[in-house]
Amino acid sequence: MFYIAIFFQYVAQYMKTRMQYRADLFVEIFSDLLFQAVNLIFILVVFGHTNLLGGWTRDEIIFIYGFFLVPYALFSSFFNIWNFNERYIVKGELDRILTRPIHSLFQIVLERMELESLFGAVTGIAVMIYAGNNLGLGFSWTDPFLFFLFVIGGMLVYGGIFVLIACISFWADARTSIMPMMYNIGNYGRYPVDIYNSVIRFVLTWVLPFAFVGVYPASYFLGKEEWFLYSFLTPVIGIVFFSISIVTWNSGVKRYRGAGN
Amino acid sequence: MTDAITVRNLKKEFKAYSSRSGLKGAFRDLLTRNYKIVPAVNNISFQVKQGEMVGYIGENGAGKSTTIKMLTGILTPTSGEVIVNGMNPHKDREKFVRTIGVVFGQRSQLWWDIAVQESFRLLKKVYKVTDEQYDSHMSHVIKTLDIEPLLDKPVRKLSLGQRMRCELAAALIHNPPLLFLDEPTIGLDVLVKLKIREFLKEINDKYNTTILLTTHDLSDIEALCERVVMLDEGKIIYDGALKSLKEKWGEGKEIEFQFLEDVTLNDLNRITASSEVKWEKDEKKAIFTAFAEDNDELISLLIAKVVADLKVKDIDIKETSTEEIIRNIYDRGIS
Ligand SMILES: Nc1ncnc2c1ncn2[C@@H]1O[C@H](COP(=O)(O)OP(=O)(O)OP(=O)(O)O)[C@@H](O)[C@H]1O
Ligand SMILES: [Mg+2]
Repeated sequence: MFYIAIFFQYVAQYMKTRMQYRADLFVEIFSDLLFQAVNLIFILVVFGHTNLLGGWTRDEIIFIYGFFLVPYALFSSFFNIWNFNERYIVKGELDRILTRPIHSLFQIVLERMELESLFGAVTGIAVMIYAGNNLGLGFSWTDPFLFFLFVIGGMLVYGGIFVLIACISFWADARTSIMPMMYNIGNYGRYPVDIYNSVIRFVLTWVLPFAFVGVYPASYFLGKEEWFLYSFLTPVIGIVFFSISIVTWNSGVKRYRGAGN
Repeated sequence: MTDAITVRNLKKEFKAYSSRSGLKGAFRDLLTRNYKIVPAVNNISFQVKQGEMVGYIGENGAGKSTTIKMLTGILTPTSGEVIVNGMNPHKDREKFVRTIGVVFGQRSQLWWDIAVQESFRLLKKVYKVTDEQYDSHMSHVIKTLDIEPLLDKPVRKLSLGQRMRCELAAALIHNPPLLFLDEPTIGLDVLVKLKIREFLKEINDKYNTTILLTTHDLSDIEALCERVVMLDEGKIIYDGALKSLKEKWGEGKEIEFQFLEDVTLNDLNRITASSEVKWEKDEKKAIFTAFAEDNDELISLLIAKVVADLKVKDIDIKETSTEEIIRNIYDRGIS
């Protein structure tokens, strides 16, 4: 309860601060939306002339992409930990975090949130509606609930993986370039995994389960029954990965060495 | 009386990696890295009672900040025992930090971009401070530290001294019984320093707040702390009253003379040949300093002799300052 109250306190503070720099805010939202549009055009161009890709139609692929955008937007809003090593370890900002009575990872989530990224979710839903219309998808009353569940699951998968990568900084003091690489790998999750070979498919399902952010949960709404099991695994995988990442984080924090001034 | 801090055989080691030279060395570094284990804090033990103000001093790199970071739960000790406010700082970190306040002079504890009062407001929620508690306590803090006019400015626009006063206020929002201050007066002007000292004294008086403070400015310690703990290369070399440190280590007095006539060191040595005195000359200002044992009779005799033979313009008798005592201890060790 306390954490929820604190969350809204930070959100309110965030809004207040952003409103003060209104021009920046509009520029950012605009460039964000532009980025989404470019991405969408890219998808349309790439899949425009291949109507079928490993048994998936163009609109299905667009639908998956739209779905992917929603958990990804949540992830980018709340897990800005790509520069965790430089900012919190090398510069020693974690010192400050650790003297406050809130879980350290949660504090970083609160401090680094970027709510503008949530616009990506709006784009995502628009894309899904567009593709879903083309496909003539039906709609049932359970869909919003499952959608919510799958989106949260997908966000936790993404968050878990990136928290785990951030944790590397607690053990190794060298800088790694794993973070940007992971952003690239993450993109593979938004294409149907059966177009890849079985090794990549295995990796994207069980090792770096990015497939649970895009294709697996989206398959449910596309009515691809052969993937339903995976669709319903989405929240489970999300919770498992995120829990592992929290446990790792907690033991990593104990190894934090601080920055000698 | 209860102990605010109990530290037993506390130790913190850091691995310091070194790289080998040359290309061959670089390849070997890939496989096995050379490292030395540096003991930053080496088996220290001490206790601090509730309400004490303790000065924690030592040269650069002595291990002061490392100790404070272990006491505040930021770093996990390599070995040893720490009990602060009855808790182990690393175990119940989130519960524990509610009972302490921390200020690092070198680093801001406040949010860079938001106005000071917004920071305060957030911290108030974070520490679950009620409106009544906040109003009664903080309005006083804000007034004493004179930060009212700074409240609506973002932290990044404050000067160092302004920021430090706000940091101090922020550390006290939950009115903790124990306050850790790591170089709180670094880089501040005299007025701000005085204000901060006054303030610390006041909250110590009012709430019996325990304060552990590191500083390189010994006048801070002299103004605030009866007790000092001195650290050297991770070990405690002195723990006791500031006064007895002075008595034990204050090596006599210095008497400064200025003369109306031209005087040489030889003249002075001749005049005072019968007593144990060492003379030194400050060439620029033409000040002659006599170093003598701290013995009233000897000193009055010495002055009498000099005044009888030479025309004196000014005399100044000085006790060895704490600064010098500490300098001497650093230079020569305690034994
Ligand atoms: N994160 C770290 N990694 C490696 N060595 C460290 C680290 N932090 C501190 N040290 C080493 O530990 C020793 C003690 O450092 P510490 O910061 O505690 O000194 P200090 O007494 O606070 O000095 P100062 O007066 O300069 O602030 C130093 O030799 C320092 O190099
Ligand atoms: Mg220090």
